[in-house]
Amino acid sequence: MIKKTTLIIMLLFTAYSFSQTATTSLVSSTKPVKPTVLVERGPYLQSGTATRVIVKWRTNLATESVVNYGTELGALAMNKTSSNVTKEHEVTLSGLKANTKYYFNIGNKKGVLSESVTGDMYVITAPNIGTKQFVRAWILGDAGTGNNNQRAVRDAYYNYVATSPENTGKTDMMLFLGDNAYGSGKDDEYQKAFFDIYDNMLKKSVAWSCLGNHDGKSADSEKQSGPYYDIFTFPTKGQAGGIPSGTEAYYSFDYANIHFIILDSHHTNREIGGAMYNWAENDIQNTTQDWIVTLFHHPVYTKGSHDSDTEDRLIEMRENFMPMLEANGIDLVLNGHSHSYERSYFLNGHHGFSNTFNGDEMTKGGHTVGTNGHGNGKIDSDGAYQKTNEATEGAVYITTGSAGKISGGDLNHQAMFLSLNQLGSCVMEVADDGKGGQNLTVKFISENNEIEDYFTINKTGLAFNADDNKPEQNSSMVSYESHLKTLNITVNPNERLKKVKFYNSIGKLVKKSRKESISVSKLSKGLYVVEIITNINTYSESIKL
Amino acid sequence: MCNKKYIANNIKNLLLITAFLLLAIPVFAHGDLSIQIAEKTKAITKSPNNFELYYERGLLYQQHVEYNKALNDYIKSESLGNTNNDLKYSMAEVYYLSEDYNKALKFISNYLEIDSINVKAKKLEAQILFNLKAYKKSLKAYRYVINQMVDTRPEDILEYSNIILAENPNNYHDALEAIDYGLKQLGLNTLSLQLKKLEYLEASNQVKKVLEQYNYFILQYKRKEFWYYKKAKYLQKINKPKDANIALQLAAISIEQLDAKFKNTNSIIRLQTQIKNLETTLN
Ligand SMILES: [Fe+2]
Repeated sequence: MIKKTTLIIMLLFTAYSFSQTATTSLVSSTKPVKPTVLVERGPYLQSGTATRVIVKWRTNLATESVVNYGTELGALAMNKTSSNVTKEHEVTLSGLKANTKYYFNIGNKKGVLSESVTGDMYVITAPNIGTKQFVRAWILGDAGTGNNNQRAVRDAYYNYVATSPENTGKTDMMLFLGDNAYGSGKDDEYQKAFFDIYDNMLKKSVAWSCLGNHDGKSADSEKQSGPYYDIFTFPTKGQAGGIPSGTEAYYSFDYANIHFIILDSHHTNREIGGAMYNWAENDIQNTTQDWIVTLFHHPVYTKGSHDSDTEDRLIEMRENFMPMLEANGIDLVLNGHSHSYERSYFLNGHHGFSNTFNGDEMTKGGHTVGTNGHGNGKIDSDGAYQKTNEATEGAVYITTGSAGKISGGDLNHQAMFLSLNQLGSCVMEVADDGKGGQNLTVKFISENNEIEDYFTINKTGLAFNADDNKPEQNSSMVSYESHLKTLNITVNPNERLKKVKFYNSIGKLVKKSRKESISVSKLSKGLYVVEIITNINTYSESIKL
Repeated sequence: MCNKKYIANNIKNLLLITAFLLLAIPVFAHGDLSIQIAEKTKAITKSPNNFELYYERGLLYQQHVEYNKALNDYIKSESLGNTNNDLKYSMAEVYYLSEDYNKALKFISNYLEIDSINVKAKKLEAQILFNLKAYKKSLKAYRYVINQMVDTRPEDILEYSNIILAENPNNYHDALEAIDYGLKQLGLNTLSLQLKKLEYLEASNQVKKVLEQYNYFILQYKRKEFWYYKKAKYLQKINKPKDANIALQLAAISIEQLDAKFKNTNSIIRLQTQIKNLETTLN
């Protein structure tokens, strides 16, 4: 019965849209009017860094692309123009100042097509990489239903950020966890469930995403294109920090002192030693950021509408990627796919099934970390989860795929502190802890404006960059007088200096000397290994010039 | 025109009502293929001679990794008169996935007779031929794919270079050329391609270039400790213990200069053990 109704509705829909098209074309043929250029999508912001941002929009007719921008709303003194006539506009603003608010509007050579007189169209550039400051990210999983549930979840966050006492109204970025537009991530579905819903936020906050299985349905993996890849522009060449991946399917970026690693758990090969794994390993082993966050669609722990004990992608991400990411200091793992909110304890090394989880197990290989890792992570109760320079293990895993709908499930994964069949989205906030460290706090905001869960990971010793405070590098044999650019060699009294050799950062011999006081003014800055050869022994020391 | 408008309005009302009805229908857990398959089965019972339905259910079975059932549906669809080329592609694909490469080849060839320029089909043909160890033909097909592809991914380049070496295990020249082509297409620092380049240079004993490649990584990276260690290991392998020692020292200094929070990650602790072990074997 239901099926029949659906079929009729679908038929009617088709008939209706045909008749609409027919009407429109009739009007235009009887009464020709000069076509007006309208903005149909956007503007929205992509791949933002400290110095550049990409502004994208779509017009109904092909036209030039103009972005006017400036730091004062009434005086957009700068502009970037592309004379290329197109409906799909993509303009890169570069040479921007870090941590700066630029208002902008968009248009063509004839004039402005979209603007905000109230100043709600702007980009705040990212801080310089490594900067420690307040950061807020809005996290949305499986949002793309286009219905009132999605709107309610959105409005709850809008309300949260508008009434937040700290950094009111500021959303540094949107993080989408995939399945951003049901049923198959087609362009019109993205219009309804993404652009029409989040348009206000998209014109003032940079959106990042990973690929979901529903987005993947319309993405042509052979031609490596499709709506998802057309809509988003992600850094493939390390433009936003991180190692170049050569693909938008997986990439990384830095924001303030946070490194984000985005993986494709859907289309891309998930094997250890595969291209994505190798990239991720090299990428995470090259970051010097204080916090490391990863996002991908398929959850490593879930007992929601999907089961991480039985589904291959979920198991592979857990077994293949998690050991590597954990060994390199991952702090937060964000997944979607199950339409629920499931949030873990403070974990490390739990790579088996749900029933093998043991919250009291704290030795090598898992499963919770620290004395309160099996607690709730709340500062006002069991205490924040703790990471220090010595204790580097521990991450919280969140499966948060209920920004558009809920789909139930057993919701009893053992590694989860809390599992809720509830609509909502998450907000991550990184802030000073007032004690020389930082707190990374995540809150789950339900569709009816309640904060249903929250926790904090605290890291100590992040008050200043440790590099600034490194002591002078002097060893017993080598001392460096930087103002004289001279290196002094002292050998044991019973030994006689024969030769000193300098090897540069790639191990190449670049200087030889027989003197005890050596001028190094001609050597470029960098690391050197200094080999000191006496009549008795060979020593080696290192020095940074 | 008036009439049309009237109908449109009526349809609008109807839509409103039915949209309301739709809200009452429970939304299926997404990705729940078995429910979709059950629905198709119901439809097939109602119209058992509809080849489209069999084809559609076959696609669902295939997604559900039930290749035999998918194949049965495809065969049934064909026997009911489905001559669509997409069916041939799907049959080739499902035979390929169930590792029946000869049958897969037959169907992809049929497909390509009608549509010889489809990149996706050409890629599948190359993959089938590769598994049939017909490397020359596979290479030819994949070369076409690489040249026609709009948006190449690093994985495509890696697959291509792999076929080059399968065709001739000594042909590192062409394999490296393929990697270089990929680097030009995707960005000179694309990690997975630079890594593969290192691997090929090592395998073809181009010592000088290998060392240059290690230096490339060392210079390119902010954190160099892992690369110094890897270089040291290679230097040991080619019997240059003195240079290996220097590289190890540079690795140690790099670790020394890391922020404390990185020094104590498990991967750095492991690396330090590896450095010590290598030092011991060198001295
Ligand atoms: Fe999903």
